[in-house]
Amino acid sequence: MIGTTKKPLEEILQALAGYEKIAVVGCDGCAKVCMTGGLDQVHELAEELKKQGKEITVEVSPERTCNIMHSRNFLTPCQEQIAAADAMIVLGCGGAVQIARQTTEELGLTIPVKVGLDSVGHMDMVVPGVMAMEQCQECGQCILNETGGICPVTKCAKSLLNGPCGGSENGKCEVDPNRDCAWVLIYNRMAALGELDKLKRYMEPKDYSKMAKPRVLYIKEGRCA
Amino acid sequence: MKLTELFQKKTFVITGEVGPVKGCSRLNGGPPPDYIQEALDIKDYVHAVNITDNQGAAMRLGALAASVLTKQFGLEPIFQITCRDRNRLAIQSDLLAACTLGIDNVLCLTGDHIKIGDHKSAKPVFDIDSVQMLKIAAGLNAGHDMMGNKLSQATNLALGAAANPNFEPLDLQIMKMEKKVAAGCQFFQTQPVYEPKKFEVFMKKVEKLGVPVMFGMVVIKSPGMAKFINDNVTGITVPEAWIKEMGSVPKSDYKKKATAMTIDLLKEIAPMCQGIHFMPFGWSDIIPEVLAAIRPYFPK
Repeated sequence: MIGTTKKPLEEILQALAGYEKIAVVGCDGCAKVCMTGGLDQVHELAEELKKQGKEITVEVSPERTCNIMHSRNFLTPCQEQIAAADAMIVLGCGGAVQIARQTTEELGLTIPVKVGLDSVGHMDMVVPGVMAMEQCQECGQCILNETGGICPVTKCAKSLLNGPCGGSENGKCEVDPNRDCAWVLIYNRMAALGELDKLKRYMEPKDYSKMAKPRVLYIKEGRCA
Repeated sequence: MKLTELFQKKTFVITGEVGPVKGCSRLNGGPPPDYIQEALDIKDYVHAVNITDNQGAAMRLGALAASVLTKQFGLEPIFQITCRDRNRLAIQSDLLAACTLGIDNVLCLTGDHIKIGDHKSAKPVFDIDSVQMLKIAAGLNAGHDMMGNKLSQATNLALGAAANPNFEPLDLQIMKMEKKVAAGCQFFQTQPVYEPKKFEVFMKKVEKLGVPVMFGMVVIKSPGMAKFINDNVTGITVPEAWIKEMGSVPKSDYKKKATAMTIDLLKEIAPMCQGIHFMPFGWSDIIPEVLAAIRPYFPK
């Protein structure tokens, strides 16, 4: 999922300054899981905005706002309420905001679409409802087959491919003593698998052209470019 | 002069280390800046001096400029170059620049993370790692860039790297050192170790690599400095016994005590390795006395 955190209310109010009627849109996908943008949080923000003197024209939370199909299905029935708004605020990831904007454009509406959250990465839920962790950079060149299923590109603060740096101590990272050194994790995992020899192989520098922005995924062709 | 030539002659190599200042070093006819003066103070006792590269991820005068300046004052610099602030183009370009400007020795390092430095919001680069940098540098020495494009003139650089004998599991550190040697590393400088037995275990494991190892010696100047290292510098541990002994004398005798303790440690360490890399942090003046005392212990 895409991890999100709430922007401070002051920042949201600043973004909505000058706009009186607001459409509040959430995302019942990742943002709901992060408890930042599901229907409950949409309602909470709407109530807060009312206290600040704003008028709410609609509260809606598509199943996954980043998917244009879902955004259309949820927002089209609300077209009149959205048209009545001076601005829309989206409690979703940056992708959700841009898909919501695209949807308003398709509906022939030219209104500002603002963001109420900060996107903080591709997150995997490791403790349900409590903690999610970044474990994949979507680098386009997965090396998990070589590293015991633990990603050094993401879990090593320096994305080192050929072993640990000198700053690792007691199995912890130099950047944060509470964080495991990715390379010690990889080493222990490969040792448990009896595959330490495979770790001795030189790993070439990554091909960062595979991360060149903005990437486009051609689903039917199965390629990303 | 390349350090590799000294190692080939079986010279026990002595190096020092200084950090460029946060500021410009244009001389304008004035005296050398403090870090150069610190290196000049030990000029007669060392073969070369490491010039650190934004050490501790704190922004300072570039290591290449400081290395060139060091050379102009008659010292042999070892240009430290990290992966933290440069992508693969910049690393190759800086290595070409170093050789062009008369640098003979480089130490290829990963680099401390941005988060421990003074520009915490900067973008860490780490486009390549230290093993890859060594392989790329070896390629430049062989006359081609990392993409295989021919260079109009190859570099001629002695390639060094860092190693940490304190690392656990030690075999993981040895594995990385093996990769560094395969990539082109010609000598190692280690992190300091204050327990000779630990260094002995390390050296037995790295013997098979056939690459000279220089023992890194951070001179502990006070119990407070040792505690600071233990609390804030990862990868180095000063044992409690060392801190206690250091603290057993009045403050006015710290330098005398540090000199004696350094000598005692290096007497045991020197026979095991091919050189000593001193990181005296301002106490360069103890190096002559230390060297005089440990010289009989250098391996023949």
